Amino acid sequence: MYKYAIRRLLLAVPVLLLSSLIVFGLMRVMPGDALTALMAESGNVGERELQKLRGELGLDRPYHEQYLIWLWQMVRFDPGYSIFTNEPIAVALKKAVPVTVELAVLAMILGLAIAIPMGVLSATRQDTTSDYIGRVVAVSGLSLPDFWLGTLVITFAAIWFRWIPPLGYASLWDSPWTNLQQFLLPAAVLGYRLSAATMRMTRSTVLEVLREDYVRTAWAKGLGGRMVVYKHALKNALIPVVTIVGGQLGTLLAGTVIVETIFALPGMGRLTVEAILFRDYPVVQTNVMLVAGTLVTLNLLVDLTYAWLDPRIHYR
Amino acid sequence: MATVTVRPLPIEEPVLATSGRLAELWTVIRRKPLGAASAVLIAAIVVTAIFADVLAPYDPLEARPEIRLARPSADHPFGTDDIGRDVLSRVIHGARISLWVGLLAVGIGTIAGMVIGLVCGYWEGRIDLMLQRLMDALMAIPGLVLALAIVSVLRPNTTNAMVAIAIVIIPGNARIVRGAVLSAKQNRYVEAAQAMGCRHLRILARHILPNVTAPILIIASIWLGNAILIEASLSFLGLGTQPPTPSWGLMLSSTGRAFMEQAPWLAIFPGLAISLAVLGFNLFGDTLRDAWDPRLRGSR
Repeated sequence: MYKYAIRRLLLAVPVLLLSSLIVFGLMRVMPGDALTALMAESGNVGERELQKLRGELGLDRPYHEQYLIWLWQMVRFDPGYSIFTNEPIAVALKKAVPVTVELAVLAMILGLAIAIPMGVLSATRQDTTSDYIGRVVAVSGLSLPDFWLGTLVITFAAIWFRWIPPLGYASLWDSPWTNLQQFLLPAAVLGYRLSAATMRMTRSTVLEVLREDYVRTAWAKGLGGRMVVYKHALKNALIPVVTIVGGQLGTLLAGTVIVETIFALPGMGRLTVEAILFRDYPVVQTNVMLVAGTLVTLNLLVDLTYAWLDPRIHYR
Repeated sequence: MATVTVRPLPIEEPVLATSGRLAELWTVIRRKPLGAASAVLIAAIVVTAIFADVLAPYDPLEARPEIRLARPSADHPFGTDDIGRDVLSRVIHGARISLWVGLLAVGIGTIAGMVIGLVCGYWEGRIDLMLQRLMDALMAIPGLVLALAIVSVLRPNTTNAMVAIAIVIIPGNARIVRGAVLSAKQNRYVEAAQAMGCRHLRILARHILPNVTAPILIIASIWLGNAILIEASLSFLGLGTQPPTPSWGLMLSSTGRAFMEQAPWLAIFPGLAISLAVLGFNLFGDTLRDAWDPRLRGSR
């Protein structure tokens, strides 16, 4: 299994290199560069000063040199500085990553807490009222855009309960209560949307597994309903669910631009989008590579989980 | 005298012809109320989009400041926006944008994904390895970020949002088609066609493609819903359709959010329209799957 994991990680190298090329290329062909965006903010600056700044930032070098320099920075885990704020990117990430991770973990927990029990319930009581309710909830969760749901939730919380989330981001360690108030609504919105896909998958795989012989054997042995469903059926039904959940976690960790924008949370999504708008090359490139690396690792973890869920699966 | 009944040899199930597929779909639609509902919903959206000019009671761009932010009434069932434009007319015209973007983006993305998937799955080898790594690399970049970057390169407008969505769609489609081709290749008739010396293109078109169309259409239907969502998200971020063109996402982000407390109808109706459209395509995708997915056959 270790051999398999190492081989997979090695295979990830060309993929990450290609991703880095795509991002680097896209950023360079974008009209305008970081300095024009920067100058637009600070007013009149002469062409000569612009050239000087470009030189200092290494933006006047040929593209392949810029790419190699950046690649070397990535290998050393030293992403350098943001062009726009002049802040070290590592510092910006240290602020944004915890926000995104907290939001992702909360949303994931909320989503799974709704999805798995509802999926199982829907499957064990197929074609009953609770099944229909569950399925309607799931399909609507897939269809309601998160920016709409987020806007409605904020507005109606304000109109009906006279409650608005506390302003200004508070970290979990400094003021846990304020932080939780800020994160609960966005996590619930995201979690609801996530639970839809997970619930549908749980329902259909549990339905399939419940028809298997070994489940019938378990019933015949006189095992209790909960034992059969949760111990025998659910574990085996989970493989496709884990695939979906892994993908969702990846998407969440990439930053949920829109929910972060609506709820004013300074996470990875906002950082990346703002950096794209300001043509802040190093920030965009670093963020995308960080996310790509996380996704590749997550995919590997998902595959390794299969072996744990189903002992018949061996990796060599 | 004893009669001998000759049992026919088990033969591989022939690929369903198009008419067979439609018949299967029709059976499922008739039996499942949700399937029928989704078909009706999609039909309604298509009709709205085509006949937007006739159906909309007002010009979607005509501003009448004297009735700005008017509540929903008999004259303006969905109310008016901050410069007095009729929201109903804008939602009706928005259907055109959403459907247009969805259909074209998914069309381009599906066809490109299909071609890549067919090439990879049929020939395998080095070209497969290279193209698959490229697809992996595209998939490793978050979809919305990729779309945003592409739109920024091409300048934000509806057409470019479409191109960006199409590119985001390609890798997933290519992977699914590749998988389907790999399994279709195992069929004896493909081997037979190869042994008879059929040309590759003929084998691909006549023997493999029909096996791949069902998963493609199912995925495309679900992608249509997603494409509408992505277009709305891009417009929401100001990088999709540009004002004053009525796009559902743009209506939500520009006026909907700003006047949410004074005039909630500005956000509620476009959001409802997006949700219904996405719901329609999701449910229709489920219906197609029920009808065409061989693993589900017999379970209905």
